[in-house]
Amino acid sequence: MSESTSHGPAARTDGPTAHSHGAAAHSHAEAHTAGTAFHTRIDTALADGKLRQALSMTTGRLAAGRATAFAALPAADALRDAAQRIRAHTIAHLDQYLVEFTANAERLGCHIHWAETAADAARTVVAIAQASGVSLAVKSKSMLSEEIELNTALESAGIRVVETDLGEFVVQLAGDRPSHIIAPIVHRRREDVAALFREKLGATADEVATIPAMTAFARKTLRDQFVNAGMGISGVNLAVADTGSLCLVTNEGNGRLTTTLPRVHVALLGLERLVPTSADLGVVLQLLARSATGQAMPVYTNLLTGPRRRTTGSDSGGEPDGPDELHIVIVDNGRTRLLGSELAEILYCVRCGACLNVCPVYRQIGGHAYGGVYPGPIGSVVMPGIEGLDRWAELPQASSLCGACRDVCPVRIDIPRLLLKLRAQAVRESLAPMWLRLGMRAFAAIATRPAIYRFVGNLVGRLGTAVARNGWLTRLPGPLAAWTMSRDFPAPAAKSFTQSWRPKRRAERTHA
Amino acid sequence: MARQTIDVLSASPDPVVVPSGSCADMIVNHYPELLAEDAVYGSKARELASRTWELSQLLVDGLGTTDAGFRTSVRLAYHASCHGLRGLGLRDAPRQLLGAATGGQCVDLPDGETCCGFGGLFAIKMAAVSNAMLQSKIDSIESSGTEAVVATDVSCLMHIGGGLRRRGSHVRTMHIAEVLAGSDHE
Amino acid sequence: MTEVRDLVLGAVRDALLRAELPHSSGERPFYVVPPDRTAADDLVGQFTTALVALTGEAHHAESLGATSDAIADIAGVYGAASYLSWSEVAMGCVGLVETLTSRGLRRVSYDLPFDQPGRNQRVRALAEVGLGVTGADAALADSGALVLASGPGRGRLASLLPPVHVALVKRDRLFPSLSALLAARPDLVAGGSNLVVIAGPSRTADIEMTLTHGVHGPKHVHVILIP
Repeated sequence: MSESTSHGPAARTDGPTAHSHGAAAHSHAEAHTAGTAFHTRIDTALADGKLRQALSMTTGRLAAGRATAFAALPAADALRDAAQRIRAHTIAHLDQYLVEFTANAERLGCHIHWAETAADAARTVVAIAQASGVSLAVKSKSMLSEEIELNTALESAGIRVVETDLGEFVVQLAGDRPSHIIAPIVHRRREDVAALFREKLGATADEVATIPAMTAFARKTLRDQFVNAGMGISGVNLAVADTGSLCLVTNEGNGRLTTTLPRVHVALLGLERLVPTSADLGVVLQLLARSATGQAMPVYTNLLTGPRRRTTGSDSGGEPDGPDELHIVIVDNGRTRLLGSELAEILYCVRCGACLNVCPVYRQIGGHAYGGVYPGPIGSVVMPGIEGLDRWAELPQASSLCGACRDVCPVRIDIPRLLLKLRAQAVRESLAPMWLRLGMRAFAAIATRPAIYRFVGNLVGRLGTAVARNGWLTRLPGPLAAWTMSRDFPAPAAKSFTQSWRPKRRAERTHA
Repeated sequence: MARQTIDVLSASPDPVVVPSGSCADMIVNHYPELLAEDAVYGSKARELASRTWELSQLLVDGLGTTDAGFRTSVRLAYHASCHGLRGLGLRDAPRQLLGAATGGQCVDLPDGETCCGFGGLFAIKMAAVSNAMLQSKIDSIESSGTEAVVATDVSCLMHIGGGLRRRGSHVRTMHIAEVLAGSDHE
Repeated sequence: MTEVRDLVLGAVRDALLRAELPHSSGERPFYVVPPDRTAADDLVGQFTTALVALTGEAHHAESLGATSDAIADIAGVYGAASYLSWSEVAMGCVGLVETLTSRGLRRVSYDLPFDQPGRNQRVRALAEVGLGVTGADAALADSGALVLASGPGRGRLASLLPPVHVALVKRDRLFPSLSALLAARPDLVAGGSNLVVIAGPSRTADIEMTLTHGVHGPKHVHVILIP
C-alpha cells in the first residue's frame, strides 16, 4: 500500500494490542522537513487511483448527506447563527467557563488534570494508568489523543492500548494513521481490512467474507478487551460548564462501553471544547451529526456527569455500573497560542469534518498528504496555529480559497480569511517561497506604474504573439512552466484593451 | 496596488462595472477589509465598494433586466466561479441572463459549483493539485456533452480552456459578456 | 497541579487580551426553541415513524400482561432466555419480573462493588444474556430517540451489552426534540452520572461507507409504548 509504506516500519504481528503509533511519530518527523516532503506526499496521493476513488465516494456521500439533512432542517440558518454566537461567546469568556466547568466536575467527584503541552498530557495519562495498576486500556476515538501521541507513550510504559472505533481499530492493526477525522479508513478497501483481520487476528475466511461478518468479528474480538481493560480513554465532543458534564457522541457504542465498563475513565478535553449550558449543547448537537454525516442524530449521545454515583446515605444506594473514577485531562498544546492571535476564530471548531468533505483539494489528495494530525481546511489553520508556521508554512498555500468550507461550517468559521492571514504572516516571516515573494513585489512595482505596465504589457504581448501557435502557447518560462505542464496558455491578443478602446473613444467623441 | 486602483476608479463618481466575479469580490469585499485601518483609504475603499458591480449583477440587480437583447445558438453549460458565487452571492443573475440569451438552453455543469482549480497563484504553487482539480472539471464538462462552457471569470476560463485544448477537446470557453453580446464565435 | 492550572488559566487570560474573536458579542438567549403545539398522539406517531426509519420497532401495550407478552415475544424472536433490566420501579412496571419469569424468561442481575480492580470478571457472566429491558425518561419524536438516565436501579449495561434492547416508554414522556427536552428538563442532565440519547441500533459505515448494524451496542432496538 502506497499509504502505509510512506509511514514507517511494518506492523508487528502479535495481536491487536501490540501496535505502536510509531508510524505516527515517524510522519510527524517527516513533516519537519517541509518543502518537498509535502509535494512528494501529494504526488503519491494523486497517483493512487484506488485512494482517489475512495475519497471521491466517501466525501461525495458525506457532503450529499449533509446537504440533504440541512435542506430538511427548518431552522438551519438560525441554528448556525446561534451555534456561532454560542461558541464565540464561550471562547471570549473561556477562562470563566473553564473555572465553572472544573468546579462543577470536581464537586461530583471528577479528578481534574491540566496539561500545557502534548508531552505533559501524555505523561499525565500514563501516570493515572500506573497509579491504578492498569495494564490494558481501551480507547474510543479521540483526535486529541493523536495530537499528543498517547498510544506511543502508553506502550512505552508497558501499557497495552486497544482502539475500539472500528476504523481506528483497523488503523491500529495496520500501523497506519487516520486520514479523515470522521471516517478514519476512507483510504482503505474491504479487501485491506479482510487481509488485516486474517493476518493479524487469525480470522478465518468465513469471518471476513462480508462487511457484516467482519464487523461481527471485530465486535467479538473487542468485547473481551472492553471487559478486561482497567482503563477507558475517550475524547470529549463538548463539555458543559454549568453541569460539569462531558458530551461524547458515537454511532458504534464503543464510546459507551469505553466509558462504562473499565473502572477508570480518562477523558481528554481540548481546553476550547466547552459550551456554557445544556441548552447551548442542544443547539450545537442539532448541527453536529448533520454536518458530519447527514444523520439527524448520532446513535449514541452520552452525557457523563461525574463517575458512578455512590450511596448517598438516605436513598436507595449507588448506581449499579459505570466507572468508579473519572479523570479529565484539560489540554492546551498550542490552543492558548491560537487564542492570542488573529486566528482565534478557528477555536470555534466542533470537529464535524464537514469542511473536509467539500474541500476540492482534500477530495483530490486525502488526509495523509497534509502530514499532520488534522488535515484539510481545518488542519491548514490548526497545524500552523498550534505547532508554528515555520513547520507548516505550506498548508495555508494548499487552497484555492474557493470558500466551500466556509459555506458548510456549522459555526460559520471564515477559513479562507484565516488562510490569508497565515499567508500574509508567511510573507512577513520570509517563509513563503522566494520566487513568490520577489515575483509579487516585482508585479506590484510594475502594476502601480501605468507607463511601465503598458510598456511591459506591450513587450510580453509581442513576444507571446511571436511564439504562439494557432493562438496558444504550449510552454511558459520559469515558475510559469508549472502552468504549461498540463495546460495550454492563450496567446496575448494582438492589441491590448486600451489600444483597441482609445481609437474607438476618439472616433465617438469626434462624431458626438 | 489596492490604493492605486482606488485612486484610478475614484477619478469619477460613476458606478464601476467589473466583468469578473473575483475582481469584483476583491474590490467589494476585500478592499474595505484590507484597508480598514487606513485613515485615508479606508473610507475611499468603502465608497468604491458601494458602487462596484460585477457585470451580471449590474444588469439584473442594478438595471433590473434579465435580457441583454441578443441571442446565441451555442449550447452552453455554466460553471459558477467561486469568488463570484460565494464572495458576491452571485447565483441567479448569471443564470437568468444566460437563460434569456440561449432561449433556456444553458444548463448547469454537473458539480458546477466545485472549484476548477485555478485559485490565482495556486495554479502555479500547487500545480499538481490544480491540475487534478482541472481534470475532474473537464471530466464533468465532457460528461455534459456541452458545446461550450460559460463563466463570469476569465481566469477560470483560461485555466479550463487551456486544459480542454491540451486534452484535444473541441469544447470551447466563452465569457458571459461574449454570450450576452450574441457572439457565436470563439 | 494547581500550579499548572494557574499557568494554563493565566495563559488563557493573557491570550484573551489579544484574541480576535468575530461574532463574540452576542447575548443570551442565543436561541429560543420554537414552541411546539403538536398533540400528544401526533408526537407518538412521529416518534414511531422516526424509530422505524432507524430500523427500530414499535409496539403498543395497554396492560402489564400485554407488556409482558410483548417482551416475551421479542425474546422468542431472538432466542433469548435471559435478560438484564432496570428495577421494576425505575421502569414504572411493578410486577413485570414475576410475569416474565412465568413466561420462561430469567432475570440476570450483577453486582459490581465499588473500587475493586477485578470487578469486571462479574461482567463476563453476562456475555450470553440475549436481551436488555429498560424504561426511558423520555422519547424524542423528531428523531425516534430514547433518553435514559442512569441511577440506582438503572444500570447502563442493560441498554448496552445485550444484542437486543427493549425500552418501555410511557406515552406521556414524548418530547418534540432534544432541544425541547433539554430546555424543559435541565435536571435530567446531571441527575445521574450518565444521560444517554439512543437513536436506533449501533451502527458503523467505516468500511467502504457500507452501513452495518450491531457493532458494539445492540443490533436491535424495540420500543413498547405503555400508558
